[in-house]
Amino acid sequence: MIRPRPVTARRYVAALGGWLVAWVLVAAAAVLLGTENIWAWESWESVRTVLGIRLYLVLTASIVGASLALAGLAFQALLRNPLADPYILGVSGGASLGVILSSLCFSILLAPLFGFVGALATVAVVYAVAQRRGRLEPYTLLLSGVIINAFYGAAIMLVVALASPMERGSIAYWMMGSIGTFDPRGTPVVAVVGGLAVAVAVVFAFLAKGFNLVVVGEDTAGALGVRVERLRLVAFVAASLVTGASVALVGPIGFVGLICPHLLRLALGPDHRRLVPASFFFGAIFLVLADLATRLLASVGDQAPPVGVLTAMCGGPFFIYLLRTRWRRAAEVR
Amino acid sequence: MAKDADNAAAAGTPAPGAPAPGAGRGAPYLEVRGLGFAYRPGAAVLAGLSFDVGRGRLVNLLGPNGSGKTTLLRILVGLLVPAEGEVRLAGIALADYPRGALARRIAYVPQETASAAAFTVLETVLMGRSPHTGALGFETPADWYAAREALRLTETEAFAERSLEELSGGERQRVVIARAIAQEADLVLLDEPTAFLDIKHQHAIYGLLARLVAERGLTAVCVSHDLNLAAAYADDLVLLAAGRVAARGTPAEVLRPEVLRPVYETPLEVRTDEVTGRPYVLLRRGAV
Repeated sequence: MIRPRPVTARRYVAALGGWLVAWVLVAAAAVLLGTENIWAWESWESVRTVLGIRLYLVLTASIVGASLALAGLAFQALLRNPLADPYILGVSGGASLGVILSSLCFSILLAPLFGFVGALATVAVVYAVAQRRGRLEPYTLLLSGVIINAFYGAAIMLVVALASPMERGSIAYWMMGSIGTFDPRGTPVVAVVGGLAVAVAVVFAFLAKGFNLVVVGEDTAGALGVRVERLRLVAFVAASLVTGASVALVGPIGFVGLICPHLLRLALGPDHRRLVPASFFFGAIFLVLADLATRLLASVGDQAPPVGVLTAMCGGPFFIYLLRTRWRRAAEVR
Repeated sequence: MAKDADNAAAAGTPAPGAPAPGAGRGAPYLEVRGLGFAYRPGAAVLAGLSFDVGRGRLVNLLGPNGSGKTTLLRILVGLLVPAEGEVRLAGIALADYPRGALARRIAYVPQETASAAAFTVLETVLMGRSPHTGALGFETPADWYAAREALRLTETEAFAERSLEELSGGERQRVVIARAIAQEADLVLLDEPTAFLDIKHQHAIYGLLARLVAERGLTAVCVSHDLNLAAAYADDLVLLAAGRVAARGTPAEVLRPEVLRPVYETPLEVRTDEVTGRPYVLLRRGAV
């Protein structure tokens, strides 16, 4: 346990450096590993192509993982509920509906924007309907999440039923959340979404002090100089932005926003000044490793399974574990 | 604005000479003028409420449930904006203070102390430094010194590394007061700090407040339902009834049967403690 020790500028920079090195090492390993054996050196061209594709996938996984972990962390702080996650809340579902509508009716280039609108609208609904005195109770969160996800599931089914058979297949695969599709035209989109993730991480770094106080209590936060309403608005919009953008990029990937902040809390404690940079890098590392696992699994089967399948299979049991242990305490502490 | 007060607080030194009884009277530090507030139109919680608090006084707000005590406290911290009237701190209207400056002048100990995360005692007390730290919230040795000092004053050092959830109600309340001390504000507002505490811990909390007021020149405004506890420790009492001030003054001036009976609608008698000379209230069974 590293806490409680002062969070000084020197320690902060050292932690950032440490995380960066860890991410670079994992990313490099993920670029070098895969089902195609690059060490056979058939030709420089083929090696470069393989590495290029893998680099694209690793960067995409990093951006999405970082985005989802940050969004999960922010939702958990703002709703004062440790079980909040973009996927469980239905925010990813809202983003998915927006992205599908955009790709069918308008242009795939508008998908991140529609994803953002869908995510933000869902957050507004969850917050308006389910919260009580700024806090989302665990039961209410689960119920509202189930209902909202069921609604979006039905809406997406409706849209899919009206789509052409070819679109139907691609939507179904996309809904499972997969990084394993390389599309060179997507590079500028990846760059934009990556920039967004970094920008939101910086914004959250400045909000971290306020996150800590809001978790303790709204009146406490207000009395200690936090503008709670403004913090909430900025953070909800930022979290919706990165959720929508990642869904537009790779489809809904569940539980990253739940697992990463929780593992980090166990290791580093509840201080958001540590958790924000840690979630950014650890989210990236986590999804790169998950994606690498799916790519290596491809050698067993015909095709790499979508990474969303893997995170959900890890996340489901993890969620139940949290329900059984931490949630009970969260429900008692009021 | 009133830089000297900031500096005195930052230096962490006790005010020169413990204030003599009655000191600060005639020089109001906190002025409440004609305060009106309603959560819903037509249902006024506060109506034309006025009183003063002298510097270096321990003031206790009394009043029946629903008399507007918590609302008043939240206005005094700046969490609510009054519909009418104004509050002045050190001669300057509360509304004219920037949010951060206000947080360096006024500390608040709210009723809710349950956190949604398992922060340790030290981390909790360090949060009191939040108005003093920069945008990223990095703490300097001065912040750690202030937190350690607050732990020492509240005698909570022994469990500095423990999680707040593991503590008893009385210990937790002392930690929240330690956070307010670490904030180095010169006005501390407390909302029922002794609710749910047994008499030993009630006395410990009020004793601590009285000591901080006497030794560090703090001004404290405390809400409590316990008339006798307030009478034993407070310099001044303010009795609220239906959003107005029903009576204010020293305990002997406020705790009189003819003042208390109409406000509380309860049969009671007031006696004087022969040892301290302070009044105490006896409850009687039966009709008013």
